[in-house]
Amino acid sequence: MENFVRYIILRIFQTLIVIFIGVTIVFFVPRLTPMDPVAGTINRINAYSPMDPKAVEKLVDTLKDLYGLKGNLLEQYIRFWTRLIKGDLGPSLAMFPTPVVDVINKALPWTIGLLVTSTIIAWLLGIILGTVVGYSPNKKWAQVISIIITCIYPVPYYIIALILVFIFAYIFPIFPLMGGTSIGLRPSFSFHFLFSLIEHGFLPAISLIIGTTCFIFMTQRALISSLTSSDFINFAEIAGLPHKKIRSYLIRNSMLPQITDLALSLGSIFGGALMTEFVFSYPGIGQILYSAILQADFNLIMGISIFSIIGVAFAALILDLIYPLLDPRIRYK
Amino acid sequence: MNEIGGKIMKRYLFLVVLLVSISVLLSGQVMSQVLPAGLPRNETFIVDQIYRYSTAQNFNIWVPGAGEQPVRQGLVSDSLWYVDQQTGKWINSLAKEPPKYNKDFTEMTVKFRNNIYWSDGVKFTADDFVFTVQTLIETPGMQWNSELSTYVKEVDKIDDFTALIKLKEPNPRFHYYFTVRWNGVYMMPKHVWEKVKDPLKFTFWPPVSLGAYVIKDADPQGYWEIFERRDDWKRTTAGIITGKPGPKYILQIYYGPDEKKVAAMTQHNLDLLMDLDIEAFQALLKRDPYARSWYKDFPWVWPDELDSRIFCLNNEKFPFTLKDVRWALVLALDIVKLNTQYVNGVSKVNPIPEPPVPFLAKYYHKPLKSWLKSFKLEVDKGVYFKPFDDTIPQKIAEWAKSQGYTVSGTPEDVFGIGWWKYAPDIAEKLLLKNGFKRDKNGKWLLPDGKPWKISIVAAPDEVDAFRLAIGASDQWKKFGIDVTVEALERDPYYTKVQIGDYDISSSWSDGCSACAANAMIDKWQYIQGLHSNYYVPSGQRALTGNCLRIKDKKLDQIIDEMGSLSPNDPKALTLGREFMKLWVENMYGIVTHGFKKFVTVDTYYWTNYPSFENPYSQPNYWFMGGRFTYHYVEPTGRK
Repeated sequence: MENFVRYIILRIFQTLIVIFIGVTIVFFVPRLTPMDPVAGTINRINAYSPMDPKAVEKLVDTLKDLYGLKGNLLEQYIRFWTRLIKGDLGPSLAMFPTPVVDVINKALPWTIGLLVTSTIIAWLLGIILGTVVGYSPNKKWAQVISIIITCIYPVPYYIIALILVFIFAYIFPIFPLMGGTSIGLRPSFSFHFLFSLIEHGFLPAISLIIGTTCFIFMTQRALISSLTSSDFINFAEIAGLPHKKIRSYLIRNSMLPQITDLALSLGSIFGGALMTEFVFSYPGIGQILYSAILQADFNLIMGISIFSIIGVAFAALILDLIYPLLDPRIRYK
Repeated sequence: MNEIGGKIMKRYLFLVVLLVSISVLLSGQVMSQVLPAGLPRNETFIVDQIYRYSTAQNFNIWVPGAGEQPVRQGLVSDSLWYVDQQTGKWINSLAKEPPKYNKDFTEMTVKFRNNIYWSDGVKFTADDFVFTVQTLIETPGMQWNSELSTYVKEVDKIDDFTALIKLKEPNPRFHYYFTVRWNGVYMMPKHVWEKVKDPLKFTFWPPVSLGAYVIKDADPQGYWEIFERRDDWKRTTAGIITGKPGPKYILQIYYGPDEKKVAAMTQHNLDLLMDLDIEAFQALLKRDPYARSWYKDFPWVWPDELDSRIFCLNNEKFPFTLKDVRWALVLALDIVKLNTQYVNGVSKVNPIPEPPVPFLAKYYHKPLKSWLKSFKLEVDKGVYFKPFDDTIPQKIAEWAKSQGYTVSGTPEDVFGIGWWKYAPDIAEKLLLKNGFKRDKNGKWLLPDGKPWKISIVAAPDEVDAFRLAIGASDQWKKFGIDVTVEALERDPYYTKVQIGDYDISSSWSDGCSACAANAMIDKWQYIQGLHSNYYVPSGQRALTGNCLRIKDKKLDQIIDEMGSLSPNDPKALTLGREFMKLWVENMYGIVTHGFKKFVTVDTYYWTNYPSFENPYSQPNYWFMGGRFTYHYVEPTGRK
């Protein structure tokens, strides 16, 4: 028990250091590029009507002040941590003065909804298909599934997404072309809203599920194939153990890498699914992050990255804590 | 083993059946039902939202980045004057007449209409104007704060419908801040904003409207916005000026990439879109017999957006510091091929930094044609060459005919007044004169014997700019220069161009403000930033439109003289033309084409949108002046 507590404290400490280093890197990297959010704002103003040159300098000064970009990098860094400790991520610079938290809060539920659902469905499908095919590789149906998945696997998922849009939103206009729900619909627990939610999320989810399922299938099939020829399975079969028992051994022994993959995938969903959001015009954090990078919106980049860093770091932490539950050979040290 | 597989397969089959069932169930909900309940299709005009709004439920359009978005700013807010970008017509909007200045341009008097109301029933008066100007001056960070605080000494209400602005220094163009091209100082409802503690953070949502429409609903994710016509639309400037009600609802939708816009328009779920690339436009024409752009036939496109394509030459970087080198690059370009092979012949060629639109061409391009034809370059001592070629439009028209197209109009009106000759032999002479040499493979060497390498920076999402960069690269390579094209996302592209970290950029007014214009004779607003007072050396950001880093005393003189004149003074036009001549003589940058957009309408539900046959108003609906155009569209009667 003492080992366990010490292990947990150490791992939490490591996680906090990882987060600190990650956040620090994300703070400095955009600021060390020549990109400039103040110039970005002036470019947007100038894009259609040239500003009076006399006024430009004044505006540069005002915006630097409002955006918190005055002072040297160290001063900005200290100000950033002082704010962050209070839970304030500051205003978005490209959408000033909208708080970064508001921007993230608006987009994140769509990303979580889409990616958590599609990741879990794809993971389960991949595990089931991979196990079945890996366990019975010589069956005709197993070979057919393998060939189909092997053919689909190398196709980039945005190509699959485009094909889905073309077939199901244009040739057969079954699904909508854009948005997260129907125009004018407000979130509620009504059947109408839920139906609309599924209708709009269906193609984006399918495009993600297809690619991820293929990946999980390939790895699971390989794991099962190698496990079926291992000594403990041969022994179990010779000993006449029921198939159900053997299957449980197989699945449990193949789970460690797959659980790792699932946890890290779920932990990294805060980066969004940019191509899916773009192709399906589906709301989410991916496009927001992309625009933030292009517009040098330092605060928004930081905000989203913090979520992402914390997500991945904690996924790794949780994995480390539950490994021994999945595999008794692993011990807390 | 079979048993396990069988069981799992049964479950898998169940899942497949479930998915198919959902698909079948969903198939009843086809996209023709894009409209929400209560919006009849024959009363709803659906327009393309040109990008996804990042701050949808925020209407603080006075804070850069907060609420100012295309379409909504025109439908819901208003300013004092407009210039129609198609016709050049001056429109008195909230002001009932043009501004009046005192003799030395230190005071401007504005008289307002007395019959305009906010959507909550409160009358618009001079109080709103005075309050707006004062609030903007007092709030750093708001748009126009810097300009107004630089120039305004005092703003006073004379009576309910008259205001007087006293200026800190003479400024005959002060009213430009209230004259809309893209925007103009938006008026604030005093009765709402005077209660606001922090104007920067106030979201002004839902907004009280001064336009003919109010916002009925908006997607928090920024994909759509619905506007509903006010019952009292006749008490708004758009209603009074057009005398027409316009569609009851305007719905703007961001569909995403071009192919989805084409799909939506083909399904008649999009009535008007801003732009497509030519391939998508041609695909749309094939599938939707109701779709058209400006011209019914070739080149289809709307050619009159007030901007121009330019190859910006870094005038501060050797060898672009040499006028002869800049001219040599011009003469090594074959504009007919550049136009027909890289932008499909649908853009007007343009030799001067003024958009070649009908209104401006009348004052600049056509009157300057004889000067351009007689203009001579000194190739060698006493040897001259006339570079202008006015037969180029004819050549492009002939190419179009050879492709089987019917050209809609005269070659000069459709393809421009002409451009520079393709004369690689003269280009060669100009380079040799300056100490350049060719190596044994015919590649150009700099005077110091090193290979001449040029990089062209371009942003691929600005499609024509990128295609022209590729075209120029191909042609200059053929001429013997080692050219590469550097494709960059917008922000890195802007950064490189603004800090002068480039040789040549394929740009538009972002690189040189002179490429753009308002539909006004006066050029001053677009060249003032080229004055050497605002010059910054490479390494620092050039934010006043002078990324070419021009520094020329003659140009300063023109700008200074023009700045002291009223924009209505005939001498302003003369000086504008002098600027064009100075540009051509020095060839600071290579202007190649006018701007074009495939502004496309689907005439299935709505008709009477401006076109070449009926160019009554500006078709660029995403600019603020587009607010008047909506009122002229008429339903076809289809439901």
